[in-house]
Amino acid sequence: MKRFVLVVLFFLLVTQALSDEKRFSVPLNDSPAYGPASARVTIIEFLDFQ
Amino acid sequence: METYQGKVRLVIKNYPYIYRDYSHLAAEASLDAGDQGKYWEMHDLLLKRSPKLDRQSLIGYAKELRLDVKAFTESLDGKKHATQIERDKQLAVSLDLYNTPTFFINGRKVIGELPFENFKKIIDEELKNAPR
Repeated sequence: MKRFVLVVLFFLLVTQALSDEKRFSVPLNDSPAYGPASARVTIIEFLDFQ
Repeated sequence: METYQGKVRLVIKNYPYIYRDYSHLAAEASLDAGDQGKYWEMHDLLLKRSPKLDRQSLIGYAKELRLDVKAFTESLDGKKHATQIERDKQLAVSLDLYNTPTFFINGRKVIGELPFENFKKIIDEELKNAPR
């Protein structure tokens, strides 16, 4: 029984960790931007034209 | 972008792949066009015409967009924005990026050219959750 509880606990922890997706902080600097600074969603794209 | 007019901002960082011939030059060209107020016009054109991005083609695109071609060419040849591009590259390396395009949507990393629906899902989630 104790082992069962431990296994359940373990899965709960793993699921929690996976759902907390990491958020990166990327400085904007003076990079080209389209759309208002007040926008609630900012998409930063790293791109290669070729 | 038109779908989310006013709600979404797109910011571009250059991550030219070191072993491709014209990646760096094309990044320069986009920023040179930006100096003349036509970054996005050049951005779209470059993506459309890629991989035809040699120096002569880039100058042709500048003409097409009615830029001041002399100023554009001087910037391009003088690698005017090398520092900014290098800064973007260092940033990409520090974030452990290996692929382009890579996106950060409110900091959430998305790798590769995904169908619009995938982006829409994340953007809608963010619009719902982000503080007003």
